[in-house]
Amino acid sequence: MNRFLFVLLALGLTACASDPAPNEQLRLTEQALTQAKALGVDGEQSESLRLAEDKFVRAQAALQDGQNKEARLLAEQAELDARLAEAEHLNGKGREQLAELNHRISRLRQQLGAM
Amino acid sequence: MGGSKAIPSLLLASVVLGGCAAHQPASEQALEAARVSFQAVKEDPNVLRAAPKDVIRAGESLGRAERLSSYWGSAEDVRHYAYLSQRYAEIARQHSEISLNQERAAKLELERQRLLLTLREAKLLSVQQHSGWLEEQMVSLATSETERGLVMTLGDMLFDAGRAELQPAANRTVLKLVQFLQINPQRRVRIEGYTDNTGSAEENLELSRARAQAVADLLVDLGVDPKRIQVVGYGIDFPVAENASARGRAQNRRVEIVFSDERGQLGAER
Repeated sequence: MNRFLFVLLALGLTACASDPAPNEQLRLTEQALTQAKALGVDGEQSESLRLAEDKFVRAQAALQDGQNKEARLLAEQAELDARLAEAEHLNGKGREQLAELNHRISRLRQQLGAM
Repeated sequence: MGGSKAIPSLLLASVVLGGCAAHQPASEQALEAARVSFQAVKEDPNVLRAAPKDVIRAGESLGRAERLSSYWGSAEDVRHYAYLSQRYAEIARQHSEISLNQERAAKLELERQRLLLTLREAKLLSVQQHSGWLEEQMVSLATSETERGLVMTLGDMLFDAGRAELQPAANRTVLKLVQFLQINPQRRVRIEGYTDNTGSAEENLELSRARAQAVADLLVDLGVDPKRIQVVGYGIDFPVAENASARGRAQNRRVEIVFSDERGQLGAER
């Protein structure tokens, strides 16, 4: 049975486009992109977001052309690129907050020292 | 997990398609890089604690890439899953750094609060030692009612010439200001810096802003929420006296504090 299925599939596969259309993955990717941008990540500063946006556009084009596998791979990568962009952004914010706290503390120390 | 269902057909496709793409060393390199990244996050307890799911996904994607690498014609897929694995590892690493920094920030915040209290006590003590503090309390803040609302002026003598640092003589006034803002938590302030017309306009603008900021910084150091404070520098604009005499110039070198109404509504900037 298995072998029969295999042969059948092998005969049926004519091109790389044999994957199902990755509509769900594209939705997930779009969501990740929207979320990153809503947090204030922008392509000017974030290399990761630029990558994500570029791959998402290419994934959409591949889907249009019926290149389903190509579309899925690009969209999967774009989703993680977008999530990384978001994490990098949050990390940057956290670092800024730390720097600000350190700055305030050193100012307090300075004032205490001057009294 | 968009890829898990697609695996069997991918494997089939790679077997069937045979030569769609040749097995290239590039995919082996990507695989090796992913192994290194995964190894690093897997052994870092902070990363495991902060982002266990992403570490697991990095491992799963790496495993997928490893398995695919033994098939012919799967170089593209190997590179793909190696890429995903590296991304997951990097995301996990970022999240670990985020949570470590959050912990550090919480500790620093405690430290800041402690220093803040110490400073406040020290300032109170120094003011009490210097003069009849209670009497001072009775006198309201030296303000004047203008079309911009209540305005309090910090005079020139509170700064050294050309410098933005506040002198200790400003302590009392600033403390009163802090106290006033604590009693009136709805009120906000705009701190406006002004200079005389000696020197270039840009330098004066910069200096006026720096002085206003110095007052704002001190308020924040003493516990006023930065969100309640606006800072503006006006440089040589809006003099209160003529700049021809030394006396007039001294009057023009000032920091004004504009108070909002009880509901926190500040008048428009000039």
